[in-house]
Amino acid sequence: MRLSKIATVMVAAMLAVACASQMEPAKKALDGINEAVAAAEAAGASKYIPDQYQAVQTRVADLKAAFDKKDYAAVLQGAPALLTDAQSLIGAAVAKKDEVVKALGGEWTNLAASVPQLVAAVKSRVEVLGKSKKLPAGVDLAAAKSSLADATGLWDKAQAAFTAGNVEDAVAAAKDTQAKAEAAAAALKLTLPKAPAAK
Amino acid sequence: MAEEPKGAAPADAGAYTQYHVVQAGDTLGKIAQKYYGDASLYRTIFDANKDQLKDPNKIFPGQKLRIP
Repeated sequence: MRLSKIATVMVAAMLAVACASQMEPAKKALDGINEAVAAAEAAGASKYIPDQYQAVQTRVADLKAAFDKKDYAAVLQGAPALLTDAQSLIGAAVAKKDEVVKALGGEWTNLAASVPQLVAAVKSRVEVLGKSKKLPAGVDLAAAKSSLADATGLWDKAQAAFTAGNVEDAVAAAKDTQAKAEAAAAALKLTLPKAPAAK
Repeated sequence: MAEEPKGAAPADAGAYTQYHVVQAGDTLGKIAQKYYGDASLYRTIFDANKDQLKDPNKIFPGQKLRIP
């Protein structure tokens, strides 16, 4: 009886030691995975490959839960494959971003040609109507000027974004510029010709 | 339809330039009244179309005038 009690205590002690000895490697493995996930996020994984990114995050959460439960063996078993997958997110995010930016590049080229022309047409009309003794019926020159000022500011923002290499923001700002300029044209009762065909 | 006028324009407006095709009875003053609410701004239209107008009092049906 006494012998079995001693044996039980010894086995428990050995298990505790084994457990503790796995904790550090498990922690190190998790840290490595977290670093890879952070690098993937910096590469835009959550934006460009959200499904893949979320799948990895879910597995990371499971592994962290196992660590919290002191199931270090489970962590050490699952960590290598998860690390590989987390690291692969980086390349996948970069590739997807390149694809998106390439497609947007064409859109930017078209907007960069058409939007300044649109703004110029509206600006020209605002200047002429500013000299008119009596505006045509329905023309709201003040509203047009306000929208035109917004359009001008947005276009500056679009160009700055493009210069900085941020094509997505540039295209978004260019589209906002277009919308503001069209609003100004509407306030002027300015009938615009159809937009130039995309190249 | 009259051929697209060449030469000076509000060139910045490019594809968004507004045009008016002269009708019988039109004058630059009437056209200015229509687009600007003020016939006295006829000179603005004349200046924008000097490549095809030599005299602001002489416009002809079919001419395609830029309207700044």
